[in-house]
Amino acid sequence: MTPLLLRAWSRYLRLTTQWPSIGTIVPFIPLIVAWWIVTEMRAFPPAFLPGPAEVVRSFGSLVYTGVLPEYLQDSLVRLAIGSFWGIALGVPLGILVGLSQPAHKALWPVLLFFQAIGDIAWLPILVIWFGYGLTTMTVIIVYTVIFPVVLNTVLGVRSIPVNMHRAAQSLGASRTRMLWEVVLPGALPNIMTGLRNGLGYGWRALIATEIIVGTSGIGFLMFDARRAGSVVEILLGMIILGSLWYIVDSWILAPIERATGQRWGLVTK
Amino acid sequence: MKSLTIRNLSKTYFDVHAGANVTAVRDLSLEVPAGEFVSIVGPSGCGKTTLLNMIAGFIPHTGGEILVGGHPVKGPGPDRGVVFQSFALFPWRTVLDNVAFGPKMRGVGRAEREKIAHEYLALAKLSAAAGRYPNELSGGMQQRVGVVRALANDPDVLLMDEPFASVDAQTRMTLQEELTRIWEQKRPTVIFITHDVPEAVFLGNRVVALSKGRVLEEIAVDLPRPRVWDDLNEDDRFKALSGRVLQLVRSA
Ligand SMILES: Nc1ncnc2c1ncn2[C@@H]1O[C@H](COP(=O)(O)OP(=O)(O)OP(=O)(O)O)[C@@H](O)[C@H]1O
Ligand SMILES: [Mg+2]
Repeated sequence: MTPLLLRAWSRYLRLTTQWPSIGTIVPFIPLIVAWWIVTEMRAFPPAFLPGPAEVVRSFGSLVYTGVLPEYLQDSLVRLAIGSFWGIALGVPLGILVGLSQPAHKALWPVLLFFQAIGDIAWLPILVIWFGYGLTTMTVIIVYTVIFPVVLNTVLGVRSIPVNMHRAAQSLGASRTRMLWEVVLPGALPNIMTGLRNGLGYGWRALIATEIIVGTSGIGFLMFDARRAGSVVEILLGMIILGSLWYIVDSWILAPIERATGQRWGLVTK
Repeated sequence: MKSLTIRNLSKTYFDVHAGANVTAVRDLSLEVPAGEFVSIVGPSGCGKTTLLNMIAGFIPHTGGEILVGGHPVKGPGPDRGVVFQSFALFPWRTVLDNVAFGPKMRGVGRAEREKIAHEYLALAKLSAAAGRYPNELSGGMQQRVGVVRALANDPDVLLMDEPFASVDAQTRMTLQEELTRIWEQKRPTVIFITHDVPEAVFLGNRVVALSKGRVLEEIAVDLPRPRVWDDLNEDDRFKALSGRVLQLVRSA
């Protein structure tokens, strides 16, 4: 019995090193099986909790009609625009606050104050100002992404050992070159952490915003499905949210981290 | 090359947590003519790193003055190369790019600065490590990178803080011989801090012993150059000088 299990385990390990995506899917199998069993036992009415097969079928038809690809694209474009501005504003601001004592004194309390006013708390006033549309959603995402990015960038800038600055200066680096040569790379591991948190929160905020003010997008799909009483589509939306985040994280963020902080020995693997 | 003049220098730290003043350097004077190699020895905590940091312009002094080439030190600059006790390599740059950093800041083109870096890496037997990142090297290798990074920038004054402390005995002797060779060629003014008495005598034109932030005594080393360990190991004058410095350090 034991040797058999061991052999199976070592085969599994070999398989997952060859095709890492298998290793990602396997942990979900028990979940899906449990879900399937519960629905097959008819513990709940199908309209209340549909099974995996129905969700897959609904996925197929939504892709076929083009609704899902369109909504997916809308959500992703919003996330990309919001993240772009969140990073473009957040990193320089974080570096400023991290490097300059006066800027830190002046801005830090303000940053903490506004961080506490959660993203969704802005919705009522934003809807009055900008109405139901892209502007409102973009503001919400930028707002959500920017705080983790700023706060972590500040932390990163301040955690660069003083001897790094000294070494660069005594090798002739000017103040502006220090930014590129020391401050940015030194803070990069923390900036990545901020980005990861920021995008994660931003993604959630986007879905919530779409549910409330959206006219398209994955959040809207779920909201619309609730109106139609279609639990299948709500479940599908939830599954898409989780899968998409996994893809963003493991295809974009994790490789950047492997190539930078981990390679440099600044972040443990 | 530049001379170094230190007059009545003092440094008092304020320890925020203890709420008390710590005087690390007090009323220290030292005159180093251009092109001289000075070794500094002294017990741990006697203010060696503090002195070096002030010459480098990293920390302000609280009294006296420091002149490099006749001009008061206002801050760090490429005329004073520094080898750090803790290496201070840039983790995000390969070994080659670390060594090429100074020339890059001076505006030397890529091909030229990489050639310079390769030459210096070869000197320290680090050619094989050129493409690796500092965290992939042993402590001794990192320390050697720190030394050649400073050398490759061709400074007027070279400030070295225990640069060979974590290198094995054989490599250390090779590096000491390489350093004297480079020094004889380029003649930078060198301040070399060490705990290793034979090393101080082997390298220096002069050994300065510090104690509690002051100069205890200066000993001229008039051994002929070029110096190599094979000649000096059994040399009576070398042994006598080492013995004297050792006594000084122990009494400090
Ligand atoms: N930033 C600081 N704040 C307060 N006290 C300090 C600071 N840096 C150094 N000191 C104190 O100044 C004294 C001299 O320190 P320094 O680092 O110059 O010694 P050192 O001679 O280099 O010792 P070692 O041989 O161990 O490297 C010590 O008493 C130390 O505690
Ligand atoms: Mg020291």
